[in-house]
Amino acid sequence: MSFDVVVIGAGHAGCEAAWAAARLGCRVGLCTLSADTVALMPCNPAIGGTAKGHLVREIDALGGLMARAIDATGIQFKLLNRSRGPAVWSPRAQADKRRYGAWMRDALEREPNITWLFRRAGRIMTAGGRVTGLAFEDGESVACKAIVVTTGTFLNGLIHVGDEQRPAGRAGEPPSCDLATSIREIGFVMGRLKTGTPPRLGRRSIDFSVFTEEPGDNPIVPFSFLTTRIERPQVACHLVYTSDRVHEIVRRSIDRSPLYNGRIQGIGPRYCPSLEDKVMRFPDKARHQIFLEPEGVDVDEIYVNGLSMSLPRDVQEDVVHALPGLEHAAILRHAYAVEYDFVQPTELHRSLETKRLPGLFLAGQINGTSGYEEAAAQGLMAGLNAARIVRGEDAIVLGRDEAYVGILIDDLVTRGCLEPYRMFTSRAEHRLLLRIDNADVRLTPVGRRAGLVDDDRWRLFEARMERLDRNRARAATTRVIVDGRRVTVEQALAQPPVTLDDVRGGGFELDVDPDRAHLDVATIEAELRYRGYLRRHAADVARARAQEARAIPVHFEYHGIPGLSREVVERLSDIRPETIGQAARVPGVTPAAVAIVAARVARGVSA
Amino acid sequence: MAAFSTTDTIVAVATPPGRGGIGLVRLSGPAAEPIVRRLTRRTSFRPRYATFARLADTVAIDAVDPEDDVTAPARIVDHVVVTWFAAPHSFTGEDVVEIGAHGSPVLLQRIVELAMAAGARLAEPGEFTLRAHLNGRLDLVQAEAIADLVDAVTPLQARAAMDQLEGTLTDAIGRVDAALFDLTAKLEASLDFPEEGFHFITRADAAAEMASVRATLASLVAEGRAGRVVREGRLVVVTGAPNAGKSSLFNALIGASRAIVTDVPGTTRDLLSERVDVGGVPITLVDTAGVREARDVVEAEGVRRALEAQTVAAVIVEVVDGSAPLPAARDGGGDGVTDRATSATPRITVVSKVDRPRAWPNAVFGDAADDVVETSVVSGVGIDALRRRILSALTSRDEWRDTPAVTNLRHVAQLDTAHASVERAAQELDVGATEELVLAGLSDAREALEAITGVRAPDDLLRHIFSRFCIGK
Repeated sequence: MSFDVVVIGAGHAGCEAAWAAARLGCRVGLCTLSADTVALMPCNPAIGGTAKGHLVREIDALGGLMARAIDATGIQFKLLNRSRGPAVWSPRAQADKRRYGAWMRDALEREPNITWLFRRAGRIMTAGGRVTGLAFEDGESVACKAIVVTTGTFLNGLIHVGDEQRPAGRAGEPPSCDLATSIREIGFVMGRLKTGTPPRLGRRSIDFSVFTEEPGDNPIVPFSFLTTRIERPQVACHLVYTSDRVHEIVRRSIDRSPLYNGRIQGIGPRYCPSLEDKVMRFPDKARHQIFLEPEGVDVDEIYVNGLSMSLPRDVQEDVVHALPGLEHAAILRHAYAVEYDFVQPTELHRSLETKRLPGLFLAGQINGTSGYEEAAAQGLMAGLNAARIVRGEDAIVLGRDEAYVGILIDDLVTRGCLEPYRMFTSRAEHRLLLRIDNADVRLTPVGRRAGLVDDDRWRLFEARMERLDRNRARAATTRVIVDGRRVTVEQALAQPPVTLDDVRGGGFELDVDPDRAHLDVATIEAELRYRGYLRRHAADVARARAQEARAIPVHFEYHGIPGLSREVVERLSDIRPETIGQAARVPGVTPAAVAIVAARVARGVSA
Repeated sequence: MAAFSTTDTIVAVATPPGRGGIGLVRLSGPAAEPIVRRLTRRTSFRPRYATFARLADTVAIDAVDPEDDVTAPARIVDHVVVTWFAAPHSFTGEDVVEIGAHGSPVLLQRIVELAMAAGARLAEPGEFTLRAHLNGRLDLVQAEAIADLVDAVTPLQARAAMDQLEGTLTDAIGRVDAALFDLTAKLEASLDFPEEGFHFITRADAAAEMASVRATLASLVAEGRAGRVVREGRLVVVTGAPNAGKSSLFNALIGASRAIVTDVPGTTRDLLSERVDVGGVPITLVDTAGVREARDVVEAEGVRRALEAQTVAAVIVEVVDGSAPLPAARDGGGDGVTDRATSATPRITVVSKVDRPRAWPNAVFGDAADDVVETSVVSGVGIDALRRRILSALTSRDEWRDTPAVTNLRHVAQLDTAHASVERAAQELDVGATEELVLAGLSDAREALEAITGVRAPDDLLRHIFSRFCIGK
């Protein structure tokens, strides 16, 4: 059997990778252990959130799957930051976990270029310094030109619950050790990270009457540009707070936490603090929020968001039962911490292909990230670029001023990871430019050129662009009266208290698609509201793009260039930035050093 | 963050600053000659000829601000001598124009500002040398000297201690930067963690914080404009145990009585500095508090600054009282507390009060005994010898380093940008704009300040948030 591209793992990264490569016409082998764990959500049963919601919109604009999957299976939607400006609006939704996985599996099964390989991956085969195939643990193998590895927490995974330790990728699933060895043997710089998940409780054992109910939005703003409306019945989440009693139990048992007694070496995410961290590091905080989130409409499991820990089972029982309403809650699955191997992402080109082994691509947690959305974004780009390299085409790299996906990958390959990487809007230099409403404006043409955007999506996009152009022209020419003065809508909205709602009806009409009115309104409102800023920063963006357009030759030699310090030479030789702009972002590289390199590159000399 | 361009036109004061005489402003780049034509209202210059010209204050004329009276006649800034070196026959290999003017630092700074208003960019430290190197105008040995400049490119890190010595610029910028950083972190946190159920900062607190930042920035800019933060000359720091005679020596070297001299150890509690010429080289001579275990907080601060001063000194003059018993720690060569100077800093040992009976022979210095300078401010012996020693120590030092004056001019330009950006952010907040717009202004301000203080990574901001607030689920 032979393939163009083999994808190892069918989580959020693997599904998008397989989909992208298949859409580009590659024969794809999708290697995973079981059809039941496709696009599994081993932790929080939710998609999106601040900045993560941006990533999902971008994946959708490029032609990926995640947004459509959550629109089809979400059971509670919220647009976060609605009270703030459109640049930081971000969708989030609770997923019906089982239906989400099933939707994704169906989508991939309908794609004829994908062949499922329900096997355990073993060894990456190479010849002449390139990927040539994948051997399974049972000894059989398939030939392929490129491999995308998306193993999540499976590389040498080790689960901790109190003193209990067992090798596992996720609860109840054995880790990938042969593959870990095979990857280590390639010579990558690797590290170890930690993450954790809270307990799951039985719905029928919980007294919901004592909680604050947290409803979702109505109407719903969907994730995908294709979705017109979401009619699935929505459910509520519930909010409860930790108490002194809970904190006391944690403090009393802290020596039994592997996070605190030294048994866990891996570095965990600061933005997802464990219960131990919350209690021990912030002793002044009297209570912490805990959200009870259903894992589906007709399943018994309730996810206890905010209660991840590595304490022993008996302590977990005490903690849960100390919470109001949970006095008699049945713990269906205990919380655990998991340590796993990751490859330092400075080992990657911006295409997500490894520098050491052409044909090998990495995406998701193996690159040090956390989060389904971060994984999916990398998966899409890795699958896309694996297919392009198989076809002899150049990789597609998204810029930092173009997409959060671009920021994500640039941060990883330029700065590396010291802890699990999560996307935040504060990572974007041009945040007002990278909005959920204009993800299609920014990226659908890119997806179309790459071959990921089908005719239906493209027609919708073109119609939307025409409406946007008409709306822009109207805003520039329609005059309205504000504070007794006749000004254009454009000028009126440059005065912050004035909103689009104030001028609509005052003679200004927008051209909207009734099914997607929220998009049309948001884009024109954002463009007008941020106009001054966007204009001021146009020069910055242009300068940044010019720096990104200046490529550094792949084998550029930094040693021996007069004027570069040894530290700078080492950093640049290690990261091997692909452009002058990227070189400037390598930690420790000074502007003068960049200027020296730029001049050398311009004159086509090195050393 | 940003790489600086090598294709635009840069400007800076090129001469080591000193009082009197001639100062030189240098421009390099494609627009150098047209910019100077505009400043001098001349139609042409002849390459490699010195041309006498009048330099006009063109800013008012070209101002777009309607407040300015556009009809006012141009004010003449100075009579200058302009020399145009056409590419590639110049120091940098590009078009270079040198403007020779009377050497007051404030005047030279104004000329640089006019050139900037006409389209030049203030040169980064070492950038002229860098361009010369890039255009093949320097040989290998000279080019290697650039390595130093490359490392000194975040100016405040290199100069922080020196400014701290004066107790003004860095402290103030550091405080503003920290306040802005903290404010940004709180506003960012409220954007990135909207579900936390609390606001990290109220609008009123944010407004108050910004008002205070704006006020500090405004006063820093004003100080910079007045030339008060412009420091001249390299530092020669006088150090030693309390009552060793440092202040007397300081007064003898500057030829005036500035430092208060008493017999009471610990009299000099803060740093005193004075600009002096030593053999034609301008230096800033600094008198420090005696380094010892301080008796009170004021003296402790003086001692701290004395130690800071040593870290940036070009030359250290260490004074030992020849008529008193040697301090116990002296035999190790240290000064009894912490020796903060780098080993590379030239150090001159002075035995003071040699008019009095000696308490010990110079032989205690071992091999270094011959290099000791013996002085007496009573008889005047040894003062000229000390001047000569300082001069030779100074001239042996690296010639490539940029002068602090240039750096401070950069500071003023950055502070100005930061001030305007915070003002814009405050206006946004005032009219009820949401956090992301306020942050757009604050981030411009931070970028300007970070050009002085060194760039923070985005992760630093997140780290700051997570260390202060328990957020995330």
